Amino acid sequence: MGNEHTIKSYDAELARLTAEIVRMGELAASQLEAAIDVVERRDERAAQRIVDNDDAIDALEHETSHDVVRLLALRAPMARDLREVFAALRIAADIERIGDYAANVAKRSIPLSMVAPVAPARGLRRLSDLAVAAVRKVLVAYNSRDAQKAHEVWEEDVHLDEAYTGLFRELLTYMMEDPRSITACTHLLFMAKNIERIGDHATNIAENVWYAVTGEPLQTPRRKGDVTAEPVMPKLGG
Amino acid sequence: MNDLATAVQSVLQQPADATRVKIAVRGLDFHYHDIHAVRNIHMDISERKVTAIIGPSGCGKSTLLRVFNRIYAIYPKQRADGAVLLDGENILDPGYSLNRLRSKVGMVFQKPVPFPMTIYENVAYGIRHHETLSRPRMDERVEQALRAAALWDEVKDKMKKSALGLSGGQQQRLCIARGIALRPQVLLLDEPTSALDPIATGRIEQLIEELKKDYTIVIVTHNMQQAARVSDETAFMYMGELIEFGNTEKIFTKPDKKQTEDYITGRFG
Repeated sequence: MGNEHTIKSYDAELARLTAEIVRMGELAASQLEAAIDVVERRDERAAQRIVDNDDAIDALEHETSHDVVRLLALRAPMARDLREVFAALRIAADIERIGDYAANVAKRSIPLSMVAPVAPARGLRRLSDLAVAAVRKVLVAYNSRDAQKAHEVWEEDVHLDEAYTGLFRELLTYMMEDPRSITACTHLLFMAKNIERIGDHATNIAENVWYAVTGEPLQTPRRKGDVTAEPVMPKLGG
Repeated sequence: MNDLATAVQSVLQQPADATRVKIAVRGLDFHYHDIHAVRNIHMDISERKVTAIIGPSGCGKSTLLRVFNRIYAIYPKQRADGAVLLDGENILDPGYSLNRLRSKVGMVFQKPVPFPMTIYENVAYGIRHHETLSRPRMDERVEQALRAAALWDEVKDKMKKSALGLSGGQQQRLCIARGIALRPQVLLLDEPTSALDPIATGRIEQLIEELKKDYTIVIVTHNMQQAARVSDETAFMYMGELIEFGNTEKIFTKPDKKQTEDYITGRFG
C-alpha cells in the first residue's frame, strides 16, 4: 500500500491543485513586497501596476475553485484527500484576500506619495517583512504538509500583532504632535491594518494546513498581540 | 399509576443515545477447508442501525455476512468458531435451530432471484413455511411486505403476473419484500445494488433508510459512496481481519488506520 492513488491522474490533479495554490501564494507575497517598495520609493506608476496585477491572483483563485469542484464531482475524494481538497478551497480564498490587502497598500501609496513624507513609513517595512515571512513560511508548510511548521506560523502571528500595536501608537503620537501629518499617518494606519490582516489570513492558512494533515481543528486559544481595540492599551514591553 | 411511574422511570434512566447491541461477534474465525477466511473478529452491531462492511474482494466481508445467518451450513467443510450472539444467544451453537435463525435474520443477495411464480406467491411462499394464515390475513401480510419494500404501487394491479417480468430493480425490491415478509429483526444485504442502474439503486438506498426504523441492517458493498450514504457504522476488512470499525462519518473523513485510509482513498494495491 503506497502513497499513490491506483488511478495516476488523480494524483496529478491533486498535485496541480497544490501547485496552483503555492503559485498564487508566492504571487501574493511578492505583491506585498512590491507594495512596500513603492511606498518607500513613492512610485505611483509602479503602484498602479501592483493594483492591476491583483487580477492574476483573482484568476488563479477562480481556477482553483474550478479544480476543486471538478475534483469533488469526478473523484469523490475521501478521508485525507477530502480534507486536502476542502483545505485547498479555503486556503485559496485566504490568499485571494492577502492579494487584495497587498493591492490596497499599493493603492494607498498613491495619495501618500502626494503629501510630505513622514518618518513612521519606515515602521511599515518591519511590519510587512513579518507578514511576508509568515505567508512564505505557511506556503512551505502547506507544500510539504508540515503541520508543525504551520503551527509555528500560527503562534508567531503574535509578533506581527505586537509590531502593529507599536506602529499604531507611534502614528497616534505623530498625529498628536503635528496635525499636518494626519493625512499621511491615516493612510499609513490603514496600510498597517491591512498588513496586520494579512498575518491573520496566514494563520487561517496555517489552521487549514493543520486540519488537512491531522484531521483535527487547531483549537487551543492563540495569544493576541493586537491590543489596539482594547479600551486601555497596556504599555508594550512593560 | 405505580406501573406508569415505573415505566417513566425506566425511560428516564435510559441514556438518550442508547443503542442496543443486536449482534455481538466475539472471536469469530471461519475456515473454508484449509483457508482461514475470517480471523478473530470482534464487533458489536447496533440495533436499528445500518452497518456497512467494506473491503477489497476476498477480504472476508461476504463470508462474515453469511455467518450471521449460518448460510454456510449448507456447504461441507466450512467451519465457524467463536461466538455470534444475536440478542445474547450464540447462533453458532448447533442447538440454535436454523429455522428460528432464518425467521429472525433475512438475507438479500447480489443478484435478485425471484422464484418462477407470481409476484404474490413470491412473497407468500416464505410466510407459508413458518405460519398458517387465512387468505385475507395472508393478503394483508403480502401487501404490508410489498409496501415496506416500496414496490406495492408498481405491482398491486399485477399480483398474478410472473415475478420474472419485473425489472431488475423491482425484482430486487421483491426479494427484499420476501425477506421482510417473515418479519425478521435483522436484514443482511450482500451487494444488493451491484446489478442495478443508478435510479433503481437510489430506490433501494431510500428503502434501506426507511427500513432501519424497524430492522437492524448489515450491508456488504463494493461501492464506497454507497456505504458512506446509507450506513451509520462502517467496518473495513482486509485479508480476513477487521481493520477498523466505527462511525461512518469518522471512517470517511478521518480514519484511524492507514490501511483504511489507503483503501477508501483509492491508494490500494
